[in-house]
Amino acid sequence: MTTHPPTMTKSTAMEGPKTKPISTTRILLYVFIIGFTLVYMAPFFGAIITSLRTQDDITLNGFWSIPTAITFENYPRAWEQGNVNRYLLNSFIITIPALIGTIFLSSLSAFALARYKFPGNQLIYFIYVAGTMLPFQILILPIFLLSNATGLYNTYWSLIVTHVAFQMGFCTFVLRNFMKTLPGEIMDAARIDGASEWGIYWKIVMPLTVPGIAAVATLEFTWIFNDYLWALMLIQDDSLKPVTAGLSTLQGQFITNWPMIVAGALLAALPTLIVFFALQRYFIGGLTLGSGK
Amino acid sequence: MAGIEFKDMLKQWGDVIGVNHLSLQVPDKEFLVLVGPSGCGKSTALRCLAGLEEISGGEIWIGDRMVNDIPPKDRDIAMVFQSYALYPHMSVYDNMAFGLKLRKTPKDEIDRRVQEAASVLQIQNLLDRKPKAMSGGQRQRVAMGRAIVRNPAVFLFDEPLSNLDAKLRVETRAQISKLHQRLGTTFVYVTHDQVEALTMADRICVLKLGLLQQVDSPSNLYNHPVNVFVAGFIGSPSMNFFSGTITGDTNEMYADSGSVRLRLPQYQIEQLGQKSVGRKIIFGMRPEDIHHPQYKPTSFNEQLVEATVDVTELMGNEIFVYLQASEHTLIARVDPRADMRPGDKVKMAFNSDKIHIFDQETEKTLSKIKA
Repeated sequence: MTTHPPTMTKSTAMEGPKTKPISTTRILLYVFIIGFTLVYMAPFFGAIITSLRTQDDITLNGFWSIPTAITFENYPRAWEQGNVNRYLLNSFIITIPALIGTIFLSSLSAFALARYKFPGNQLIYFIYVAGTMLPFQILILPIFLLSNATGLYNTYWSLIVTHVAFQMGFCTFVLRNFMKTLPGEIMDAARIDGASEWGIYWKIVMPLTVPGIAAVATLEFTWIFNDYLWALMLIQDDSLKPVTAGLSTLQGQFITNWPMIVAGALLAALPTLIVFFALQRYFIGGLTLGSGK
Repeated sequence: MAGIEFKDMLKQWGDVIGVNHLSLQVPDKEFLVLVGPSGCGKSTALRCLAGLEEISGGEIWIGDRMVNDIPPKDRDIAMVFQSYALYPHMSVYDNMAFGLKLRKTPKDEIDRRVQEAASVLQIQNLLDRKPKAMSGGQRQRVAMGRAIVRNPAVFLFDEPLSNLDAKLRVETRAQISKLHQRLGTTFVYVTHDQVEALTMADRICVLKLGLLQQVDSPSNLYNHPVNVFVAGFIGSPSMNFFSGTITGDTNEMYADSGSVRLRLPQYQIEQLGQKSVGRKIIFGMRPEDIHHPQYKPTSFNEQLVEATVDVTELMGNEIFVYLQASEHTLIARVDPRADMRPGDKVKMAFNSDKIHIFDQETEKTLSKIKA
């Protein structure tokens, strides 16, 4: 995952300036790419346009029509009246601890699996990987019952704990493979320098795993933040719901006010976009360059 | 300051033996080089000494402590790795200070030691750099600096020059020797390069398949190898070997391969004794003991063997000549003035005072040549 973007840049860089005339295949390719992009982006553009229209306009002319007037008031309305501000706050209250917990715990288990030889190492690793392949839908009922039994139902913690448990498999898988690539001699050197095993993890391996962590953290943030199913299952109280589940309550209350719901949805999409763009540069990793010869 | 002792040390993984019952004493302040082909167990022995590998049997002593169960950080050692193993996310200064910080050394003391080591290695101007912004030679020096600042009782080097280019390797070799003289500490140095071993070591320990072959000073190892393996491994180009028999009688004995027949000097006849006649042997001759008939030392116990020149390699100060003498392929180091061309038939002058004789079965030496 972390190596993908560099490969892309390399291949485009190698093509360099135009050296041969544009071929028919190339034209067809561009037509296909542009067409595909337009189709893919259409709902998004539709959402932006809808969020800028009035409810009356939509009722009269339908969703896919030229707007008669442009208005920005749907955004503050969704924010205040639609409670998107509260829902977004809930989303962060759930996502940030879940993210930290996932990264911390999975980096620990990844470190152990990548750097120590012990009986059952492979087995544990396989269980992690196999666990990620389990369809989570079949676990809805057990987890619902579990959260009830532990008294976590309808609290932030129910979602935080569930997310940590579900995301650890994938995170451990990625980070373990990343840590495997770190040269073992660096850890030996630290051991001789006097670092404890915890010191090696915290002062040597973690800083060198930053590109890997940034990559999974970006993905995990998106997945946890955008989760709808668990929020629906484990939270009953509207005031505790994250923005995904919260937006659906708007549908009930303001069944007719589409522009406001869409505006709220776009607001809800902003944090993941920001996180993605902010951490994108970490995808082009390679902090270990220079440690060896 | 501390000596080292391996007492019957064994390292194995399942059925695979890395180091086979190694017993070896390294006195304080000695520069010991462990040498051998890859897979001979030299790096494993070093890693066991460092505490990076647990040993399967025997004991390791550093100074007056048995260190079998002592973790690496408490063994009072420092190690330089082949890949240098610098911490890529830290500056040179932090790389060198890392071990001292972990040991809670006072800040000004750390600074003093890092600056001092940096000036010894002439890397003061690199202290703010990250490892990736440096050349291989500079990284190598930083790795040494990281070891020096710790002021350990024993320095361990695991093929530290293998990643450097030839010129830098020669320079750094001298620098490490100088460092040893300056610090007066025990050095244990692992390499597969016998030239490094010969040039730097006080004593060399030759290993093969986990087994100790010979420990001795470079000159003794070169002149008096205990077996065929050591004779062939030490010295470049390596010794020429012939398998044959001892023929003759009490007065005249020959090392005889059939096509190459060399008369043994009196002192060797005395060492071998009468009963050796008929014994199956391997005999060897170093390339520098085979001379061109025109350009040879003034007086030596020469015997001529006819050979055909295959290839010549001019080294500047000498020529390596690859020769064919019946079924034997030979290498000789001859005077650069010698005019030898491929296809020439030459009667090469063998120095029969320098015949190394080994038993064919055990491959152990049977006599000691005059150095």
